[in-house]
Amino acid sequence: MVRYVAQRVGQSILAIFLTVSTVFVLVRLAPGDPAAAYASPLATTAELDRIRAQFGLDKPLIQQYGIFVQDLFHGNLGTSFSFQAPALDVVLSRMPYTIMLAVSAILFAAVVAIPAGVWMARHADTARELGANVAMIAGQSMPEFWSGIMLLTIFAVLVPVLPASGFTSWAGLVLPTVTVGILQIALISRLVRREMGAGFAAPYLTIARARGISERGLTWRYALGNSAVPLVTALGTRFAAMLNGVVVVEVVFAWPGVGSLVVRALETRDYPLIQATVLVTAILTVLVQLLIDLTYPLLDPRVRLGKAVAS
Amino acid sequence: MTATTVGPADGSGSGDTAAPAARPSAVTAKDLARSGAVRRRKSARLKIWIGSVGVALVVLPVALAGVLPIPGPDEQSLSLRRLPPLTGGHLFGTDQLGRDLLSRVLHGGQVSLTVGVLAIVVSGIIGLIAGAAAGFFGGWVDTVVSRLLEAQLSLPLLLMLLLVVALFGPSIPVITFVIAFAQWPEVARLTRSLVLVEREKPYVAAARVLGLHRITTLLRHVLPNVVKQASLVILLLLAQAVLLESALSYLGAGPQRPFATWGRIIADGQDYITTSWWLVTLPGLVIVLLVVGVNLLGDGLRDRARRRKGPQTEGKVSRA
Amino acid sequence: MTLSPLAACAGPGSAPGVGSTSGAGAGSGITLALNRSLVSLDNKLNQFDAAVTVQRGVRQALTFIDPKLTVQHVLAERFELTAPTEWTVKLRDGVRYSDGSPVTVEDVSTALQMYQKVPGSFLAGLFPEWPTVTPVDAATFKLVTKHPVPTLDYLMANILITPAAANKPEELQGGVGSGPYVVTAANRGTGEYTLQVNDKYWGPAPAIKTVQVRFLPEEANRVVALRSGEVDVIDAISPDAISQLSGLGDVEVQQVPSTRITQLFYNFRKPAGHPLADPRVREALSYAINGPSLIKDVFADSVSPARGVVADTLTGAVQTGEYVYDPQKAKQMLDAAGVKDLKIKIIWETGEFANDTSVMEAVVEMLKAVGVQAELQQFQPGGDISKWRQGRGGDWDVLGNGYPGPTGLALTPLQGMFAGTKEKEATRDTYQGYVFPKIAALLEKASQETDKAARESILATAQKEIWNTWPCMWAFVPKTVIARRKRVENVLLSPTNSYELASVRLNG
Repeated sequence: MVRYVAQRVGQSILAIFLTVSTVFVLVRLAPGDPAAAYASPLATTAELDRIRAQFGLDKPLIQQYGIFVQDLFHGNLGTSFSFQAPALDVVLSRMPYTIMLAVSAILFAAVVAIPAGVWMARHADTARELGANVAMIAGQSMPEFWSGIMLLTIFAVLVPVLPASGFTSWAGLVLPTVTVGILQIALISRLVRREMGAGFAAPYLTIARARGISERGLTWRYALGNSAVPLVTALGTRFAAMLNGVVVVEVVFAWPGVGSLVVRALETRDYPLIQATVLVTAILTVLVQLLIDLTYPLLDPRVRLGKAVAS
Repeated sequence: MTATTVGPADGSGSGDTAAPAARPSAVTAKDLARSGAVRRRKSARLKIWIGSVGVALVVLPVALAGVLPIPGPDEQSLSLRRLPPLTGGHLFGTDQLGRDLLSRVLHGGQVSLTVGVLAIVVSGIIGLIAGAAAGFFGGWVDTVVSRLLEAQLSLPLLLMLLLVVALFGPSIPVITFVIAFAQWPEVARLTRSLVLVEREKPYVAAARVLGLHRITTLLRHVLPNVVKQASLVILLLLAQAVLLESALSYLGAGPQRPFATWGRIIADGQDYITTSWWLVTLPGLVIVLLVVGVNLLGDGLRDRARRRKGPQTEGKVSRA
Repeated sequence: MTLSPLAACAGPGSAPGVGSTSGAGAGSGITLALNRSLVSLDNKLNQFDAAVTVQRGVRQALTFIDPKLTVQHVLAERFELTAPTEWTVKLRDGVRYSDGSPVTVEDVSTALQMYQKVPGSFLAGLFPEWPTVTPVDAATFKLVTKHPVPTLDYLMANILITPAAANKPEELQGGVGSGPYVVTAANRGTGEYTLQVNDKYWGPAPAIKTVQVRFLPEEANRVVALRSGEVDVIDAISPDAISQLSGLGDVEVQQVPSTRITQLFYNFRKPAGHPLADPRVREALSYAINGPSLIKDVFADSVSPARGVVADTLTGAVQTGEYVYDPQKAKQMLDAAGVKDLKIKIIWETGEFANDTSVMEAVVEMLKAVGVQAELQQFQPGGDISKWRQGRGGDWDVLGNGYPGPTGLALTPLQGMFAGTKEKEATRDTYQGYVFPKIAALLEKASQETDKAARESILATAQKEIWNTWPCMWAFVPKTVIARRKRVENVLLSPTNSYELASVRLNG
């Protein structure tokens, strides 16, 4: 187990390092000039050169990369151009908002999607299930920015009961959560429905039923219990993806998280900030994925007993 | 793999209903009509129908946008700005420059759909090759492909896409490639798992005994068996591609103006939400209609394919 | 670890009430929503208009440009030209910082040095040269320059004063100032700040006790937040937002003509023989633009037509002509100049001015009507437009661009745009290649003329000369617009798009 974790962590560190390096090169190859974004539009060529030198952008790419890697090992991610503050601090001041939105959205999705999926599985192949299925597909088919704008129009403009933007009270969490949740509910409930469908057909359930276990117990303990691994995997993967920034939804609701920060950092060609964001979110993503892997033995006795998990 | 072994998924225990009609049986025709298999067939057919209608409702007008009796997408009339739908011969109303919104949505749809279709062709080819190679050859090929698939999971995908678009400019080929890049893992993963199953089948061993080259075996024998199943996922990918393209356009990384893609029409209309609801609502509904249609169609086709394969496996299970 | 900042800055309990029922901080506070993130509380770099409102609430300058664009004295009691290259300034009695310490001559001297040391400073371009401070007594000093800078009292309004020991050659994120407010909470990452009244303020106490600053980049969010009362004042709103807000009972839209000019500026780096190198062609194209329709239909009258080469609100600006819509004449003049099948490329950066894309798309159609084929290239913020503007990215013909008038003087933008010389062009530091030595000489002369009447007469001549070179296909003067809840009163909006926080009142 320890060896497995160590191996995973090693692989992850390598993957993160490669990702950050790729981003390092990509941002510098992209057109656009951080100095021009930083200075006033009226700055002269000489001034821009001076700013570039100040940012260390006048050095050859290889040398810049060397400095970057060296600083990275000292835990220094550089100074954000546009915020004039340590890039890591800026990212960490925004991260809580993204984490909060991701947690809230995944909880909301799980609370709605699991019962919905179970309900669909129990009413498999009925008109009701078809109806629910179509509704879920519709949820999965809406562009997030559109459903966000629609919700905003309805609940902040037509019937102004909820705040439209930012986070100044818990009520501000509602619309972004629902917007992110719609898609997740659709995906997760359909997954639950599929897995439960398979579970209901399994022989062990017939035996359990023969032993006189109630339908309710069958549904929740046996069939759903058997779907725990794929369900947790799906929830975890979706959660990890959200930590990368729920970019579109954050932009729609002016949510002060890392997603909207990234868009801004790109607009100002704030290289250190882009790199810091990628690094922090990649580490979090990998951690979450590792945690998911570590929960498998708890959820599935077969893994505990040393047998492979059916993927 | 689990996909092919889905049994009668009915909680009420009407498990073994597929009894041959010739034998005397307590199972009436009515029971049969209510059986899971029949209902599933019906629901698959219904999904395909609804899906096709949804897709056709969007795709046909988009394809025919050039010949329909509607104004051109760039014809402005500044005095007829933001007319609500159904006024002055504008079915969807007009936008902030007095252009016919329907026309813009349809012409924009041509761009969005072209990008979507091209993207899935590219991602399909890459995913199929990478996934098949990984599944068939195993070893280091599999390791490389699997690691790449994993690595992409931890990438901040949208950020990378925005970066690449900034890097190479927002042209249609670049956006197509970027979407394909986001989608190939799905095809590759599916193909890989299908090939893993296929590889163990007797005909592959037979081919080997006959002395066929491994690559020939893969291309001539294994791939054709896999392509059909893998292609079912394509429609679902098309739905995603359209959504992704609209998200990129919304964030300003869409094809250069004057191309009016769906995402951009909505982003432009966002500033008018309190006064001109149709500028955001209608283009969004068109996207939803198309994507729901494509998803339903894809779902229905997959259900049907599963059912066709289904009886054999089910038969085996019940006999065992 | 990562969750600790949340507890510190995002606790909803500390934030003002939200929702339709209560306005933000229904008691004695207001909430401002800015369209750009306020990352610092001084303006060494981050010179965007609305930020100045907040920055001046905390830090002050020697002078202040009031809504009529005249100079008012703030920290200075006296600010006089006592010799052609020498101004005498006396600090006001009793001016002090929020920590109780007095404002000193050394603070002014240090501030000037720090502003100079920041690379890429917006202000460096405004000062023809930096003055040096020569102390006279504890409260009096002289500002000395090599050449006459007759407008120094205007320019010094941009230099915010901080205690010398705390000043650094970078943007200051916190620290004390002499303004009516102090910062009690700041989150640079999210652009959220809380200002509280400065108990030790040397002037009359402001009516509003608490000011919350929020950052809402999307206009749709700002508009909806204002409608529901989540925020009290929003700025930088587009014509469409105006029409959305103007019908509402509890919202008031306030607009004044700004000091900015937005232009469709020609590329003056075209080789001789290129149609656009011919002023007749530049003039002809201007007749193709239906300005009145753009102003009425696209801008909903939130801009005024330009009648000169800079905004006519500026001190020293004169009217030199008007843009006329006459497509017949445009065609005739193009024919007369022998221009056929002209193709031009228009470039601009997203968000450079309100409704930018609508305007550009409309312009393409207008040009099409006179037989000119225009291609649009839109740059995303952060993209390469600065390289293109310097002629190093690719070829273009017309640039959509706004030029500010931050000092309130016509001279500043005139020099910035039209005083290009061969030397400056060598490093591509002219405004789109605009090099007319005669005009540059006139402007140079005006900038050093200490007699006001003589200066303005030279400037008037220069502006007429510039107009006759047809530098723009079209231009307009946007209005400075804010929208506020009606309970917020006495917002003295200035054409430079800022207002004094201290004079704002709350009604009920």
